[in-house]
Amino acid sequence: MTEPVEKAMERADLGADGQAPKQPKEKKEKAPKEKKEKKPQGEGGGAPGEKEKKKETKLGMQTSKKESFTDWYAELVVAAELISYYDVSGCYILRPSSYAMWEFVQRFFDDRIKEMGVQNSYFPLFITEDVLNTEKDHVEGFAPEVAWVTKTGSSDMEKPIAIRPTSETVMYPYYAQWIRSHRDLPLRLNQWTNVVRWEFKYPTPFIRSREFLWQEGHTAFATQQDAEAEVMQVLELYRRVYEELLAVPVVRGRKSKKEQFAGAFFTTTVEAFIPETGKGIQGATSHCLGQNFSRMFKIEYETEQKTKEFAWQNSWGMTTRTLGVMIMTHGDDKGLVAPPRVAPKQLVMVPIPKASTPPDDKKAMFDKADELKAQLERASVRVVTDYRDNYTPGWKYNYWELRGVPLRCEIGPKDMENGNVVLVRRDTGAKEAVAWSDLAARVPVLLETMQADLLAAATERQKASMAKATTWEEFMAALESKKMVLAPWCDEEEVEDDVKKRSTTPTAAGAKTLCIPFEQPDLPAGTPCFASGKPAKNWALWGRSY
Amino acid sequence: MLQSKCAQGWLAQRPSPIQSTPRPASRGLGSHIRQHNWQLRAAAEGTAATEAPKKAKPQKQQGGGKAEGGKVPDEAITPKSEDYSKWYLDIVAKAQLADYGPVRGTMVIRPYGFAIWEAIQKHLDAAFKSVGVENAYFPQLIPLSFIAKEAQHVEGFAPELALVTKGGGKDLEEVLAVRPTSETMVNHMLAQWIQSYRDLPMNLNQWCNVHRWEMRTRPFIRTLEFLWQEGHTAHATPEEAEEMAMRMVRIYERFAVEEAAMPVVAGRKSRAESFAGANCTYTIEAMMGDRRALQAGTSHNLGDNFAKAFGTQFLDSDGQQKHVHQSSWGVSTRLVGGLIMTHGDDKGLRLPPHLAPIQVVMIPIVKKEADRPAVMESISQLESAARSAGIRVKVDADERQTPGWKYNHWEMRGVPLRVEVGPRDVESKTCVVARRDKPGKEGKQMGVSAEPMAFVAHINTTLEEVQAGLLSDATVFREANIVDVTSYEELKQAIAAGKWARGGWSGSDADEKRVKDETQATLRCFPFDQPAGPHTCFMTGQPAPEVAIFAKSY
Repeated sequence: MTEPVEKAMERADLGADGQAPKQPKEKKEKAPKEKKEKKPQGEGGGAPGEKEKKKETKLGMQTSKKESFTDWYAELVVAAELISYYDVSGCYILRPSSYAMWEFVQRFFDDRIKEMGVQNSYFPLFITEDVLNTEKDHVEGFAPEVAWVTKTGSSDMEKPIAIRPTSETVMYPYYAQWIRSHRDLPLRLNQWTNVVRWEFKYPTPFIRSREFLWQEGHTAFATQQDAEAEVMQVLELYRRVYEELLAVPVVRGRKSKKEQFAGAFFTTTVEAFIPETGKGIQGATSHCLGQNFSRMFKIEYETEQKTKEFAWQNSWGMTTRTLGVMIMTHGDDKGLVAPPRVAPKQLVMVPIPKASTPPDDKKAMFDKADELKAQLERASVRVVTDYRDNYTPGWKYNYWELRGVPLRCEIGPKDMENGNVVLVRRDTGAKEAVAWSDLAARVPVLLETMQADLLAAATERQKASMAKATTWEEFMAALESKKMVLAPWCDEEEVEDDVKKRSTTPTAAGAKTLCIPFEQPDLPAGTPCFASGKPAKNWALWGRSY
Repeated sequence: MLQSKCAQGWLAQRPSPIQSTPRPASRGLGSHIRQHNWQLRAAAEGTAATEAPKKAKPQKQQGGGKAEGGKVPDEAITPKSEDYSKWYLDIVAKAQLADYGPVRGTMVIRPYGFAIWEAIQKHLDAAFKSVGVENAYFPQLIPLSFIAKEAQHVEGFAPELALVTKGGGKDLEEVLAVRPTSETMVNHMLAQWIQSYRDLPMNLNQWCNVHRWEMRTRPFIRTLEFLWQEGHTAHATPEEAEEMAMRMVRIYERFAVEEAAMPVVAGRKSRAESFAGANCTYTIEAMMGDRRALQAGTSHNLGDNFAKAFGTQFLDSDGQQKHVHQSSWGVSTRLVGGLIMTHGDDKGLRLPPHLAPIQVVMIPIVKKEADRPAVMESISQLESAARSAGIRVKVDADERQTPGWKYNHWEMRGVPLRVEVGPRDVESKTCVVARRDKPGKEGKQMGVSAEPMAFVAHINTTLEEVQAGLLSDATVFREANIVDVTSYEELKQAIAAGKWARGGWSGSDADEKRVKDETQATLRCFPFDQPAGPHTCFMTGQPAPEVAIFAKSY
């Protein structure tokens, strides 16, 4: 991290063609600015920000994913211009390139829930203390993390107002009003909002922040069966967001009692895994709330038989954490690798004239690049061109690799002669020459191939990170080799507490259940729990986690 | 409000922590530097909204049995002419657009209201992206010290900030403001992101919520929390910033006219009415059904005011360090209120087809059960034809309600077209198409072909006719209610008659304040479209370079 600027530039400047290009002019322009930048002054926990800030002006990654994952991630999210820090610790700016990816996630999910019959709405950010306190279990889960508005202008308020950490308690009183009859069901609402949870755990951009963006769906049904069907339907959409859009494999399962949502009947989850840190990460959760909240909030409906029943409710949420998991999964030592389906720009067009190229030929080259760009755009490829004349090709390659653009399209003097371009894949570095006439057909295919390959590669790493254990020793050995562990379990909360305690080491937090996977290996009768020796009820997936 | 009841349960006893909060100092023109979209003269007549929040009980739909076209008390709303304010609140409640939030002055945007906002978002987001604007997200919690950096800005916004002082059980080291707008937050970042002229222009936008502690609130029109988009751009030259501010107000104008069918007047705000911290504010002003003006969107040329406060500089191609020049611009959920008050009538909402969540409602007319299958078959063919042509359709086949009840129900919700199919229509392979914007027979066309291609063509054409019809109605209404004045006396008369007054203006800030104090009318804008001169100021009698519009406003 303390590598001198010159050295870093040197490495960054080694272009793909192996020659060290000239120092870009831009560096000089930026140098004075660097000193002016203020360090974020959070209330602690802002360390990565402080370190990374300084690197905004440099090009190329300086930390290695393998050697120093946490630093690598912190460097990457800033260097690739995905987020920025500011003075408040744990809050971040989502810059256009990450926000555009969030928009792809939003569009995919929003379209599909609307097909299912879910409607969007908006409930207020501010919650009164009394409303927040309606549901006991629930409040105990969230109260310690609430941020409070205590003043308006210069006046103190009589009672403070909470900023929503989640919206159950805001929404459900309305459900109680709006739902009267079985004909008012199902009521299926969703909202895309920001929420604030004032946590003091170590913040990580996208993964854990004090303010984050999410969608929260809240639905009410007449029957348990309908509610449970939706829980699974939504979980499947979450799986698709991860696997089909973000190319991140996930394990679907049910949360243990200890890990489920405060106040839920049961919680389902999609769990991802980061092999480098050996930590599981909860991807998104879909909860069946049963009738717990409807009893509390008196969400009752009249059945066809004129009897009163409490509604069955679900809630489900997915956050900008999705992007963090994707970045961690695919990123490499050159920077971000964006899966083509969520890449704001899928292809960067880089003409590479030589200093000796005559002006006419140079113009023809740029014209050709424009023409090819137009063809690609007609084929719905998102293209960006880099015609800057103050950077060398090698510098540009690094620049766009850092930003994760899936394909680079080079067009040089030789290519002009041959009627070709050279396509370079961001994930593998594989090059191929493609004739101009084939380009608009080839690129979409290549993008889809890359999308599939990213998922396949990540799935392989995920599989390699999955161990099975039937004894405590096996369990600890797997955990210590940074794996998640599938182990037969008695499904008792005290045992989970005990495992957490016993697996805590001086350097690592204890393990917990990530989920009880829906896909269960055979469990012969009498198999003992790996931790308690009691008869196992299921195979649970354990791991250290974010 | 025949069926409405006061809030029940927790809503009735909900804590109102702000009721005891002292009101911020009255904002007359004395503090006019702080004028912005959401600021309204405190002098405006009181609004019933927060004083007596009534809650419409969810509609209880009784079984059929009502005669077709019969009165349906559940759906009745206060006539516009009787009580405009109540009419508005009735529509908001009964068309299920919004409900009151748990904290006074906040609102819950219900699915139908939110779908209108989503339609607005979709149009505008595409328009922004087409001119090279990128979306981003800036944090909601802004250190108070940021807001204090631009003197006029802080003066304008400080009284209505919501401040967070505690989090996670601890006192915060620095007080954080819940964003009222993000110029300061954005500039704090731009100062770090922008280094060279090559980084410019930087065109950013965000769709988010903002909070301003308003005392007099009304759903959609002025709420303590509202949803909006705020665009923030940075440029190398003053000319480019000016051009951007103009381009955006023109985008708003075009959206208002073409999509929202609101014939807005685009123009420039007076100095007194400009945004706190701006060099110049452009606006689109719409006339509501009660002839009050509604500021429906603003675009500001911020000059280098914020850039200087935040040190947002760049190295220009000539080797000089320079401050950037900026614009910011926004529209909000207020537009939904504008739509209601521009187009609504005594039957309820009238939505322009381009923004209507449901463009066509299809209603089977079945008297004998034996006819039902054939009617439903025809309806379902029409539905799928329309749907595959991208038309937003809803079939109301609820057997518990009469057709007449349904007509009222969907008219209340402002659905632009209704398609009726009965047994005779099935026989003749036709249907009936009724327009929401034209009452009775005038808007009803019988014998429309049910052949899919012809049907879709007819619907598309008619939707465009409704769109044009609404714009034309609103334009005629507006033109009839703008009076050209040549003296202060004439202005007073025009304002007293509830109209807009237009006349030459070269008065001072003090003159402007006098008009406001004496008539409650404010200078809405100097329209871009100016009548041929020369003009004489109606107040001072001096030559005036421009005419201005004065009106009472929301």
